[in-house]
Amino acid sequence: MLHITAAFFLVGGSVAAGILNTLAIRAERPSETAFLLRLVRVTLPAIGIGAGGTIIFGIWLWHELGFGIGAGWIWASLALWVATSALGSAGGRHQEKARTLAEQLSAAGDTSTAELKALLRDPRGNALSWLAGLTTLAILVLMIWKPGS
Amino acid sequence: MIAFSRPFWPLFLHVLGAMLLVGAIFTAAILSFVGWRRADLAFLRRGTLWALVCGIPAYVVFRAAAQWIYSKEGWSGHNDPTWLGIGFIVSDAGLLLLLVTLGVAFWWNRSGRAVAGRIVAVLSSVYLLLLAVAWLAMSGKWG
Repeated sequence: MLHITAAFFLVGGSVAAGILNTLAIRAERPSETAFLLRLVRVTLPAIGIGAGGTIIFGIWLWHELGFGIGAGWIWASLALWVATSALGSAGGRHQEKARTLAEQLSAAGDTSTAELKALLRDPRGNALSWLAGLTTLAILVLMIWKPGS
Repeated sequence: MIAFSRPFWPLFLHVLGAMLLVGAIFTAAILSFVGWRRADLAFLRRGTLWALVCGIPAYVVFRAAAQWIYSKEGWSGHNDPTWLGIGFIVSDAGLLLLLVTLGVAFWWNRSGRAVAGRIVAVLSSVYLLLLAVAWLAMSGKWG
């Protein structure tokens, strides 16, 4: 129950961050973009509790349910969890860069520039967040499928 | 351990839909609570409506997959366990709550009236709490 609750925090918080980020990309003015990207921070405690909880309670369950040390799907999930954390952090740094620029533009006339638009729609930056979403989805697949068990 | 005996696709879609729904409602709650104090910001109203609209397909996936599992496992409605009853109550009453919240969010977006934003904030928080009760009941197999 605690492991699943943590998973709801992690995925629910990540989905909320993703929706807010999408709204920020589509916003008309830099002040709106900056405001929405600041709101992403509200989701971070949920994501942090979820990430910590899934790993702690997950390892506890691994021991409790008697899965062997050689359970490949658990090791794969752990590797994906590390990848998700790294990709999510990198995506977050990209969003912070966009937020800083949006705040500067907001203070200087609140007109969007090509630089901000390019930063918000940067395929490499956005790919980091999408990949973090995909690795999370892969963890969910492994947790339900449990291949080899 | 119960998940072992369950078919992959309905359970995966049920859990995925529920998690996406929680994310959408969480976003609506954040935006409407911020909009409670900043009713002048139209993009918060639009964002709340957009987040709730995202919740609709998530709800459909979550609810349809729940019915799929229910049929596949041969539950009949007689002597169903408590956790299953809680899940049904929250999902079915939740649809009504989601649609009412969506309607009020539409009104808020059109009118900009602060009271509508406050109603959306309260309704989305109540729905989020109900969803939390449901996932706790279902994952803990209450009763």
